[in-house]
Amino acid sequence: MNVRSEESRARLQLWWTRLATMTVKELIQFGRDTLLLLAIVYLFVFDTYMAGNVSMQLNHAVVVVHDADHSAASRELVYRFRPPYFKLGGEVLDNREGQRLLDRGQALVVLDIPPDFEHDIRKGKPVDVQVQVDASNTVLGFLASSYAAQIIGQYGFDQALARLGVTERSMQNVPMIRDEHRVWYNPNQKDAWFMPIAELLTVITIMAIMLPAAAAVREKERGTIEQLLVSPLTPIQILLPKVIAMTLVILLGTAVSLFFVLHGIFDVPMKGSLALFFAVTTLYTFTTAGLGLYIATLSRNLAQAALLAILILMPMIFLSGAWTPPEAMPAGMREAMLLSPLYHFIEMGYGILLKGAGLDVLWDSLLGLALLGIVIFGFGVWRFKRQFG
Amino acid sequence: MKVPRIIALARKEWREILRDRLFFTLAFVVPASLMLIFGYGLTLDVEHIPFAVVDHDKSAMSRDYLHRYIDSRYFDYQGDVASEREIEPLLADSRIRLAIVIPPRFQENLISGRAVAVQTLIDGTFPFRSSSSKGYVVAINAAFNGELLGNYISRRLGVPAQTAKALAQPVAVQLRYLYNQEVKSVWTIAPVLMMFVLMITPPFLTALGVVREKENGSIYNIYASTVTRGEFLIGKLTPYVGISVINFLALWLMAAGLFGAPFKGNPLFFFLASVIYVTCTTGIGLLVSLFVRTQVAAMMLTVIVTIVPSVLYSGLLVPIASMDPAGQFEAHLFPAMYYADIVLGSFLKGIGLEQLWGKVLALLIYAVVLWTASFLMFHKRPKS
Repeated sequence: MNVRSEESRARLQLWWTRLATMTVKELIQFGRDTLLLLAIVYLFVFDTYMAGNVSMQLNHAVVVVHDADHSAASRELVYRFRPPYFKLGGEVLDNREGQRLLDRGQALVVLDIPPDFEHDIRKGKPVDVQVQVDASNTVLGFLASSYAAQIIGQYGFDQALARLGVTERSMQNVPMIRDEHRVWYNPNQKDAWFMPIAELLTVITIMAIMLPAAAAVREKERGTIEQLLVSPLTPIQILLPKVIAMTLVILLGTAVSLFFVLHGIFDVPMKGSLALFFAVTTLYTFTTAGLGLYIATLSRNLAQAALLAILILMPMIFLSGAWTPPEAMPAGMREAMLLSPLYHFIEMGYGILLKGAGLDVLWDSLLGLALLGIVIFGFGVWRFKRQFG
Repeated sequence: MKVPRIIALARKEWREILRDRLFFTLAFVVPASLMLIFGYGLTLDVEHIPFAVVDHDKSAMSRDYLHRYIDSRYFDYQGDVASEREIEPLLADSRIRLAIVIPPRFQENLISGRAVAVQTLIDGTFPFRSSSSKGYVVAINAAFNGELLGNYISRRLGVPAQTAKALAQPVAVQLRYLYNQEVKSVWTIAPVLMMFVLMITPPFLTALGVVREKENGSIYNIYASTVTRGEFLIGKLTPYVGISVINFLALWLMAAGLFGAPFKGNPLFFFLASVIYVTCTTGIGLLVSLFVRTQVAAMMLTVIVTIVPSVLYSGLLVPIASMDPAGQFEAHLFPAMYYADIVLGSFLKGIGLEQLWGKVLALLIYAVVLWTASFLMFHKRPKS
């Protein structure tokens, strides 16, 4: 009996040694491809850095004005179209000129102030101000029109108050609602806190699918898989090291990106538990690596694998909830999002880093990811074993 | 340069692609599926924002005010909570993205002519969404204030309600949406997706096709043959450009037919501009393939030069006008941005060469530079 337990312990030790050796082999092989290494450093460091410099909001949209009044009142209205949202792009003499600028994309908004604007406002006669918006990009068009309407509405409101003789001090005695909004988690609504995190999670996804898939398909394409198959290794011992090695690479890259770029350059707060964040990242890479392995079993060469990877990656990235609000998704798509591991990862990533949420809040996302992970990874392994077992 | 040799090379490449059934199928399936999935699923409109309410007043007026949120399609009412303390866990768990707190004596203060402060708490995790939500809140408040002010004027000056309303809101806004009157987002998204899909798939096809020969070693046959550099590059890439042009036509059909985006421009101009664009993106793949030796590296490098810029710098998600100078500079380095203007111009604006010649020229220069660089970098006597 003692002998038997001794034997099984030795066998277990051998199993682990083999696993470790194969992991080292994968890491060495990986490290030899200098360009690949450079590409990965670029993605984790520069790419997340570049993402911190772009913004999805409307900034400095060019407004051109057709001012038929040229009065103090019209000038005051025009000067309210200020940065950050708008930028004055000068005046046009007629509407045709404005149309031409809109056609060429040199202006987004044309503001048309009618003659006798000031006169009519003084008289208390309603005036129409025409705003033409380029809606060929609906998001921009919609934002621009809603900001323009806000500015003009506020202007009218101020004019009305001025007519009533209400001053800043007597404001308190007019029945109205003062809007006090507070933005939580990202009080200044810095895109630099949002975009780099989104980019980092995207990069993790791309790598977690592509690297294991590539590592496995390469062996198939070159025929070196045959060598591994005739060795005493089990399919699990061939496949798991690939996933472990790539996960190590991804975790290292994530740590570098998180500490040096996100926290170091952009001051993204790391409110929650970092241990939890890395634990979740590990679970996530394993889950998506399962997709990579599945791709590897389907394809015979890397070209096929790359196309399959794109087919899976792009919908995952775009329908993850980072770019498109899940609430606004059409029914059916919203449910489909729940099947995407990235959706749960994004929920937890932002939750931990920005909101400081812990397991008490995020347990349902974690459970979702874990379930998906078991199914996806299990399926990938099963396919791999069936193909090579 | 001999044409028969180019044709022979192109036929060899075509046959090779055709024999790899899965690759051949995917080359057409991937672009079409991306278009389908995103065309139906990519909604950038911020709508149905889930919100909760803390109503300390519970009066007729506060209910009237809140109903402006509840009845709006931009907001999705999730229920009342008793106090501010219950809001935080809901926001942290993303069950709600916004909360409205109505102070006590809301109605009493307003009726007796005093201003009240209504607090809105907004989840700022996604800045784009939070600033849109803020915009909706401001608009609802402005409309409500306009009415309050009208009533106030009517009472103070003793004028009829209609006149008071005009006095309260002296300036009206007439909005006109050009090019897309109903602001249908799919009309924008479908054409821009053509840009996006044609930015990603051709480089992948090309880069992997060329590097495969390098990694397999079959490229030594070319090195040893009498085929010249130029003949090899053109012959090798013609099939890939061809596949991409077919894909372009399919995407065009989908955008106009399936998603109903109106095409107002000149089809011939659009076709030619798109062929230039596809040549550009194929050239990107070619250039990548000359830098690397392994397919894995080719794959990653292609991700870097295509997926990343087309997400960040193409204008699909991020407006280029609002980037800082560094971002704008980077955006101008990639062809996606120019083609986005051409696509939207041809589809929605109905403009042609006269207005868009600058963008076409940029693409043309881009294509020439890429192909020349590749030609110069490709050697039949590799160093190692």
